Amino acid sequence: MMNRTSSTKSTSLSYSLRDVAFIALTGIFCGAIFFGTTVSYNFLSAGLAAIGLGPFANDILLGLWMIAGPLAAMLTRKVGASTLGELLGSFVEMVLGGQWGAATLISGLIQGVGNGLGFAMAGYKHFDKLGLLLSTITGTIITFGWSMINEGYAKYNLGFLILLFVVRLISIGFFSGVLVYWINKLVEKSGILNRD
Amino acid sequence: MNPSLKLGLVLIASFEIAFMQSIVANITIAALGLLYLLSKRVSLKKLLWLLLVPIIPVIGTWLSFYAHGTGDVFHSAWLLSTRIYAYIYLGGILTLTVSVEDLLGSLEQNCHIPTKFVYGTLGAFNFVPRVNQTVKQMKIAALMRGEVLHVWSPEIFFKSILVSLRWSDNLAQAMQSHGFSEYTKRSHYQTYSIPKWNWALAVILLICLQILAFGHFI
Repeated sequence: MMNRTSSTKSTSLSYSLRDVAFIALTGIFCGAIFFGTTVSYNFLSAGLAAIGLGPFANDILLGLWMIAGPLAAMLTRKVGASTLGELLGSFVEMVLGGQWGAATLISGLIQGVGNGLGFAMAGYKHFDKLGLLLSTITGTIITFGWSMINEGYAKYNLGFLILLFVVRLISIGFFSGVLVYWINKLVEKSGILNRD
Repeated sequence: MNPSLKLGLVLIASFEIAFMQSIVANITIAALGLLYLLSKRVSLKKLLWLLLVPIIPVIGTWLSFYAHGTGDVFHSAWLLSTRIYAYIYLGGILTLTVSVEDLLGSLEQNCHIPTKFVYGTLGAFNFVPRVNQTVKQMKIAALMRGEVLHVWSPEIFFKSILVSLRWSDNLAQAMQSHGFSEYTKRSHYQTYSIPKWNWALAVILLICLQILAFGHFI
């Protein structure tokens, strides 16, 4: 295995061709895992829709949609990696998944910026539990704000709104937080990224 | 129309739709998108598929606003469920009529996105069939050891990262050994230009969009 020291030596702002390809490939893998594993999504969605709880299908799985961003940030430790990872991921999704079109790019950008803000608040020094915790919080708040406008959440009654927020926080906290932490631990233990 | 300009227009429209409070505007946008796709001879099967795929989220949205909305619940229910179709047919304008190569090529030449992003992404795209196959292989390999890899198992992501790391190394080396350089200026066989009528059309469409957005339709 090639060592990747070149990417840690250069400033954290610059991306090499290899970094871009790596982030894009990770994004494609996340998409493939998502589509290949959750056949039950439509059943879940249909079941919840029938009892008037349709939006929960999205909120339960949102953390999984967003995983590419924090994963890219944790693995490359670069400024803006979360946004780039999420944007590339949503570009892939737009082209392959198809039906949501360019709206995917906008939500991808919002999700990436939302997660990235957490790492930025920690000064791009905490690619650990603290960074992930902050990115979970900022990610939830920012995507929820967008849902208030875009998906009309502002028109729900308060109780329903709070429930949606809590479900989204748990989903993002688990998939884009805890799961990313576990994955990163495996990566660090294996030493494949050759970081100090 | 030039792919970058089309992307820009669709992005602006998608963004504005999020703020529009008019059912008529949503339906108009969806219908115009559908007409455009029909004029581009996109197959009827695909267009019908676009109509059917979101049916569950659409019904889900409608019912949840009806059950848990505040204020005029019927307006909210119809507004948010027709919005989904506005997004879908608007998105189709881009995804069903422009290829990835054209879009990325145009972004590079017209929007001056750095080549490493354009070709890095394009290179990664070519791995899509192999990515799907690899994910299946990883799951089957795990099953042979009696392990089931779920979407919440860190192992499946870890293995994906290993593969991504190897492929991205190989891809970057292969591209560089074929003369790819991040810093030198490239010449282009296929060039993308933005003719004047494109700009004129874009301005007209944007004006129409503002009429829909600020026209106080129901």
